[in-house]
Amino acid sequence: MPNDNEIIDNIANKEYEFGFVTDIEMDILPAGLNESTIRYISEKKKEPEWLLNWRLKGYQSFQKQKLPEWQNFELPAIDFQKISYYAAPRNKKKYNSLDEVDPELLATFAKLGIPLSEQKALTGVAVDAVFDSISIATTYKDKLKELGIIFCSFGEAVQEHPELVQKYVGSVVPHSDNIFAALNSAVFSDGSFVYIPKGVRCPMELSTYFRINTENTGQFERTLIIADEGSYVSYLEGCTAPMRDENQLHAAVVELIALENAEIKYSTVQNWYPGDKDGKGGIYNFVTKRGICKGANAKISWTQVETGSAITWKYPSVILQGDNSTGEFYSVAVTRNRQIADTGTKMHHIGRNTRSRIISKGISAGEGNNSYRGLVQIGPKADLARNFTQCDSLLIGDRCGAHTFPYIESKNNTATVEHEATTSKIGEDQIFYLNQRGIDSEKAVALIINGYAKEVLNQLPMEFAVEAQKLLSITLEGSVG
Amino acid sequence: MTQEQTIPLFEEVVNGWNKLSLSGGVKKESSDLRRARQSAFDKFRELGFPSIRNEEWKYTNLARFLKDEFTIEGWEVPGKTVVPDAALVKKAGITLLDCYQIVLVNGSWDGTIGGGTLPKGIQLLKVAEARQDPALSVYFEKQAAWGDQHFANLNAALFTDGLFIRVDAGVTVEKPIHVIHVYTSESNLLVQPRNVWVVNRNAELSVVESVVSGGTAKIWVNGLTEILVHQDARLHHTMIQTAGAGVRLVQQTTVHQHRQSLYNNFTITLPGADLVRNDLQARLEEEHTESHLYGLYLAAGHQLVDNHTLVDHQKPNCLSNELYKGVLLEQSTGVFNGKVYVHKDAQKTNAFQQNNNLVISKKATIDSKPQLEIFADDVKCSHGSTVGQFSEEALFYLRARGIGEESAKSLLINAFAFDVTEKIRIPEVEAHVNELISLHIPVNHA
Repeated sequence: MPNDNEIIDNIANKEYEFGFVTDIEMDILPAGLNESTIRYISEKKKEPEWLLNWRLKGYQSFQKQKLPEWQNFELPAIDFQKISYYAAPRNKKKYNSLDEVDPELLATFAKLGIPLSEQKALTGVAVDAVFDSISIATTYKDKLKELGIIFCSFGEAVQEHPELVQKYVGSVVPHSDNIFAALNSAVFSDGSFVYIPKGVRCPMELSTYFRINTENTGQFERTLIIADEGSYVSYLEGCTAPMRDENQLHAAVVELIALENAEIKYSTVQNWYPGDKDGKGGIYNFVTKRGICKGANAKISWTQVETGSAITWKYPSVILQGDNSTGEFYSVAVTRNRQIADTGTKMHHIGRNTRSRIISKGISAGEGNNSYRGLVQIGPKADLARNFTQCDSLLIGDRCGAHTFPYIESKNNTATVEHEATTSKIGEDQIFYLNQRGIDSEKAVALIINGYAKEVLNQLPMEFAVEAQKLLSITLEGSVG
Repeated sequence: MTQEQTIPLFEEVVNGWNKLSLSGGVKKESSDLRRARQSAFDKFRELGFPSIRNEEWKYTNLARFLKDEFTIEGWEVPGKTVVPDAALVKKAGITLLDCYQIVLVNGSWDGTIGGGTLPKGIQLLKVAEARQDPALSVYFEKQAAWGDQHFANLNAALFTDGLFIRVDAGVTVEKPIHVIHVYTSESNLLVQPRNVWVVNRNAELSVVESVVSGGTAKIWVNGLTEILVHQDARLHHTMIQTAGAGVRLVQQTTVHQHRQSLYNNFTITLPGADLVRNDLQARLEEEHTESHLYGLYLAAGHQLVDNHTLVDHQKPNCLSNELYKGVLLEQSTGVFNGKVYVHKDAQKTNAFQQNNNLVISKKATIDSKPQLEIFADDVKCSHGSTVGQFSEEALFYLRARGIGEESAKSLLINAFAFDVTEKIRIPEVEAHVNELISLHIPVNHA
C-alpha cells in the first residue's frame, strides 16, 4: 500500500482528462474591450436596437465599478483588455440539420461524452452545446416544440421571441448588479433560453454543455429560464476547457424566473480546467446566478457539484417573493492543488411562509481553500419564514483550509432560522472500520466522501448523479487523510 | 479642566491629542510608551471612525451616535474623581456577595477598597500611576498592538486612567474583586478607561465588573482591557452592563493565554445603554489552554447590542467553547459576530460556538454571523446559530397548567437565559443576574 505522501502526489499529478484542444477554423475578435467591441458583437448577432442599448448600459456600469475586495482569497489582476470577447467556429451559413455541422465539432462533443446526434444522445435529455461564444446545436428541439416549450440558443431567442427576452432579461440580475454581471451584459455572446408554457411539465432534462476552446478568450454566456404558471423544468449545465497555462475568464449570468406554482430545478456539474499542481492556468469561474420565485408556491432549487476551475466564485441565490415559495441550495465543492472555491448562496425571504434549505459540503485537499459564504435574509413581511442551513467541511491534508461565513439577518419575529456548521477530517476510526472489512484505504475514503456528499448528489438527475459520483471519486482519488 | 468645545468627535480627538502630548503627565512617561501612543494615534487618524462599509461594523451603524458632540476628559488632572451618587453604587452592588469592592468613576479610582484589606500577592493600582512607573509601563508600550481596531487605537493613544491588577505567582485570591464602573456627567463626555490585568503563573482570580451610569448627558465609553493569563493561571471574568440611556459603550477586551491557562468570560448586557459594542478577543498563544466565553444579551427600546468575539487558536491542543444567547425586545437590534480562527499549527483544536436568539417583538432585528476560518486539518470545530421565537407548544403547556400568558413568557425567557446564567460560578452573582433579567420582563410585546 502506498504511503500517504505517495498517494497525495498521485492526486496532485493526476491529469485533467478533458484538456485537449480542438483544431478548427475560428472567427476571433482581437483582444480588447471598448464600445465598438460591443457594437461588433451586437451587429454580428443581428440584434435589435434595444438590446444594443442595454449592452451599452451594461458597459457603462462595468466602467463605473471596481473589482470587489471582500473575498477570502487573493484576486489575481485581470486585464480586461487582453481578453478576446468573441470567438466562433467559422461557418458559411446557418446549419439546417446536424449533418451540416463541422464533423470536427461533433467529434469534440462526442469525445466529451456529449453525442449530439439524437439517435446516440442520452435518452430523455435535450442538449444545447455551446462552443466558445456560440451555440452549436440544440437537440430534440422539435419534439419540445410540440409542447410549446422553447429551448434554443439565446441568439435565436432574440430573433424569434424578442418580446419574452425583452421582458425578462436583466429582471433578476440587473446590468449593474456587479462588475462581472455588468461585463456579461455588455459582451455576452450566447447561451441558452428556455420558456416552459403554463401548466406544462417538461418531459425531458434540458441541458447545456459549455466548452471553452480558443486561447485568450473569455466565455460570457447568458442563460434565461422562464417557467410560466404551474410548469416544471429540470435543467443541467456541464462545462470543460482545454489545458492552458494562461488563466481564462468565465463570467456567465443565469437568471431563473418561476411564476406561480412553477418549479425550476437547476443543476450544475462544473469541471472547468482547474490549473496544474502549481496553480498555473485554469479557469476563473465568476458567475452570477439568481432566481426569483415571483408567484405563490413557486420553487427554485440549485444543485451544484464544483470540482474544476482555478477559482470558483459564485453564489446562486433565490429571491423568495411569492408567498409559500421555496428555495433550495445543494452544493458539493471540491478543491485540491491550489484551487480556490468561494461559494454559497443567498436566500432573500420576502413573501409570507417562505422556506429555504441550504446544504453545503466542502471538501478541501492539497493546498485547496474552500469557503462557504451565505446570506439568509428575512424581511419584515416574511411572516413564518423558515430556513435551515447546514454546511460541513472536510479537510484532507494539513495545508488546506476551510472557512465559513454565514450571514443571518432577521427582521421578523415569527421567522425561524437555523444554521449549523462543522469542520473535521475523515475519522481514522471510520477508515479502520472499513479496512477491517477488507476495503483498502483508498476505496474507504471514496466511500466516505460519497456518503458525505450523498445528500447533495441525490438531488441530481439520475444520469448525472452517476457522472458526478465518478467525477468526485476521480478528483479525490488517493486522498487518504 | 474639561474642554468645552462644540466640534464633532473626530476634531475633538485630534485636539485632545495635541493637548495630551504637551501635558505634564505624558512627559513623565517612557519614550516607548509615547511612541506607542503616537503609532496608535497615527493609525486611528488613518482609520477614522468605522462606517458600515467596514465588514466588522456592517450591522452597527454609528452615524446616529456620532452626531453628538463630546469632550474628552482625563488628561489634565489624572485621577481626578467625581464623587459618585451613592444610590448608583448601591444599584450596582451585588447582594450578599463577599468581595473586595472598588469604584471607578469615569474610569478613575480614588484608591479605596471596600470589603476588607487585600491579601498579600495582589496589587491594585491606578493606571494613571502605573503608566508612569518604569517597572510597569512595559504593559502599555507595545507598538502597533491593535491592528485595524478603530476604537482600541483611539484608546491606546489617549488613555489616561483605569485599573491595573496584578496577582503574584501561586496566589489564589479567595474573594472576587467587584469593580463598579460609574459613568456620570452633566455634559457630553468621551471616557477612555484602560485596564491591564496580569494573572501570574498558577494564580487564580475572579473579577466581576458592573457598569452603571447617571447624569443627564451623553457619555461615550471607549474601554480597552488587556488581560494576561500566564501558565497554569485561572481567571474568571464577569461583566454586567446595566448602563442607562445616553451611554454608548464600546468595550474591547483582549486576553492573552499562556500554557494550560484557563479563562472564563461572562458578558451580560441588559437594556439601557443606547449602544453596546463588545469586542472580545481570546488569543490562545500556547498549548493546552482552555477558554469559555458565555454571553447573554437582553436588548430593549431602540438599543443596539453588538457582540463581536474572536477565538484565535494559535497552538495545538487547545479547547474553546462559546455560547451567546440573545433576547430581543421592542425595537432593539442584536448583532452577533463570532469568529473562530484556527492557525496551521493548531492541530487537535476543539472549538465550539453557538448563538441562539429569541426574537420577542415584531420590530426587533437580529443579525448573526458565526464564522469559522480553519487552516489545520486535525480539528473538531462546529458552530450553530438560530433565530426563533417562543415555542407555541411550550407556551400552551404552561398555560394549560393555569399559568398566565405573561408569567409563562417570563418563565420561558428565564429558561432560555438559564443555559448561560447557570454557568456563572459565583451563586450570588448568578442570583443578581437573574434578578436583573426579571426586572425587564414580563415584557411589552408591542
